[in-house]
Amino acid sequence: MKLGFSPQEEAFRAECADWLQAQMTGEFRDIRGITTLTAKAERRKEWEQHLGEHGWSCIGWPKAWGGRDATLAEQVIFAEEYARAGVPGRVNHIGIELAGPTILAFGTEEQKRRFLPGIAAGSTIFCQGFSEPGAGSDLASVRTKGRLEGGEWVVNGQKIWTSLAHISDWIFVVTRTEDGSKGPKGLTFLMMPLDQPGIEVRGITQINGDAEFNETFFTDARCPADSMIGGVGDGWKIAMGLLAFERGVSTLGQQMAFRNELDEIIAAARANGAAGDPLIRQRIARAEIGLRLMRYGALRMLSNTDHSKIDGAALTYKIQWATWRRSLGELAMDVLGQAGEIAEGEAYEWGTLPNLFLYSRADTIYGGTNQIQRNLIAERGLALPREPRGDL
Amino acid sequence: MDFRFTDDQLLLATSVREYLAGTHGTQVLRRLDEQGNRDPAIWQGLVDMGLTGVLVPEALGGLGMGLVEAALIAVECGRACLAEPLVDTAFVAAPWLVREGRTDAIAGIVDGSRKIVPAHAINPWLADGEGARLQSVDPLRNLTTAPHDASEDPYLLDLGALMSAAQLVGIADAMLEQATDYAKLRSQFGQPIGAFQAIKHQLASCMVAIEFARPVVWRAAAALQAGGAHAATHVSHAKLAATDAAMLTAETAIQVHGAMGYTYEVDLHFWMKRAWALSGAWGSRAFHVRRLDEAVIGGTIPIGPEHTFA
Repeated sequence: MKLGFSPQEEAFRAECADWLQAQMTGEFRDIRGITTLTAKAERRKEWEQHLGEHGWSCIGWPKAWGGRDATLAEQVIFAEEYARAGVPGRVNHIGIELAGPTILAFGTEEQKRRFLPGIAAGSTIFCQGFSEPGAGSDLASVRTKGRLEGGEWVVNGQKIWTSLAHISDWIFVVTRTEDGSKGPKGLTFLMMPLDQPGIEVRGITQINGDAEFNETFFTDARCPADSMIGGVGDGWKIAMGLLAFERGVSTLGQQMAFRNELDEIIAAARANGAAGDPLIRQRIARAEIGLRLMRYGALRMLSNTDHSKIDGAALTYKIQWATWRRSLGELAMDVLGQAGEIAEGEAYEWGTLPNLFLYSRADTIYGGTNQIQRNLIAERGLALPREPRGDL
Repeated sequence: MDFRFTDDQLLLATSVREYLAGTHGTQVLRRLDEQGNRDPAIWQGLVDMGLTGVLVPEALGGLGMGLVEAALIAVECGRACLAEPLVDTAFVAAPWLVREGRTDAIAGIVDGSRKIVPAHAINPWLADGEGARLQSVDPLRNLTTAPHDASEDPYLLDLGALMSAAQLVGIADAMLEQATDYAKLRSQFGQPIGAFQAIKHQLASCMVAIEFARPVVWRAAAALQAGGAHAATHVSHAKLAATDAAMLTAETAIQVHGAMGYTYEVDLHFWMKRAWALSGAWGSRAFHVRRLDEAVIGGTIPIGPEHTFA
């Protein structure tokens, strides 16, 4: 065990902090502190390209593909400084954290050449086409169909909850390519350009009035035959490999964003006197403990170098942070009191803390609900018998 | 002690429930959200049912009923996510004004020409007041900044807290029903999700919370009606129990709906946001816990075998 960072790592931290803060007080000060993924989308795309130009868009990737071969510690440091500087979330986080690593792990050299430079440069924005109206928690029951026809994949069906599809360039889609197959068999993983007549994107408004998600409809949508990652029928394996990336380094930067949120709650409690209430004080203290638990848990998870196995830390991480943050939203509301009920202006738009309350309702749902997480923990972590299911 | 209601009381609650179910469904909530959230026709319907006069003495042209009946109706208003200020006007303002001897506005309340939402110092916002409108998280709630000369009368506060608690029980009922219906319809892994214990147990926990909040609200209504020494304590207990039940049910109902529960197009969010708004109104959780702890530890409530559950 080695806690803390080396002098070289601290020097790297200073470099990250200096550069990020210079951008957030300079050319990109207009996007500093934005907490939704949708606001100022065009400027956020410019920010992605700016990160690419300066070699900061995907530091964990190999140098050959636009990254820096950054160590795990360096990736952690960058993610922390990114959140600390108040830089808004990456509109291409799906490209950088999921599509890119998936192509690196499973793609051909030609596919790497085709996709990775654009993702690294921030000019190719990706979104994710997994869930369907009938395939949410039961992800393996996807019904969107793909068939090969004249050297192209032709796709028909519907995806849902495709975050940021309306500003994306490409979508990766899990399709059912074997007629009559069920569950995880017979699925194929395709990369498709969004800008084509066969794809229609419709926004879904959320409870906070924002519209980050979409429904994405495929009607004879097309992509070249070699846009398939892995082989025909490998879709589930690729998708599961990709979801393991989702548990990766991004979690540590996320914690710095959580730190910012908890700090804002503490400041609000001091300002309005709620900090004098013993119930609030205890909940703030417990939130602080919960945040530290997650930090140590995530560091432990990332120090597991054998990624072929999901260890206890990885298995339990999602439910821990999601439940913690949902409680943080409730704490924020209790600290703000009735002031939290009011929007900042005349529009239905919310300040950081009310938005935290509303947005964190989704945390325990997306990426595997708390109920699915508990089943995974019980079945994979504790080897309990599998949940009885109906006839598929 | 007898927790049973009379047939008349039950008939009253049922008739209000059926009326609102028939005239104030989710399509009405959608219309109000999109096209302006007050509708004179809805208000007139409530007036025509006599609901604005429930707590007004017969001598002043009302029905002369008590807070228990009013609380039963307020539960139904919560269940329907009613936007019109019936509860504030008829069940908070009217009994308070009558108690204060300020009866000049009562005729207007009964005939529906006056909507009155009393300002109390504990609320920074005034629902349906005059002045520039503030955007509430609840799109059907019209708020303005409260005036500086708001009342500090504890009876007014207790009325407001009691009636918020009653509405929260109805709101929780409605959310639990929506989530239960969804759990029966939505299938994953080859069966309705409600067949999974992970879902079933969550919904059952909501039912426990709601069923144990309901009689506390009735008890508080009876206590405030009778004007006993501990009425305020009962009201605080009711507000806390109803708030906890409603917030638990809101959280659970969203979870059971999955990502759909997080969308504006699923109706659930109207109730969830009303629950949030009413949880904070008329005294926060912290305020009511403090009133209880002061009563219990501070000795206002006598303890010992001869005073059981006073």
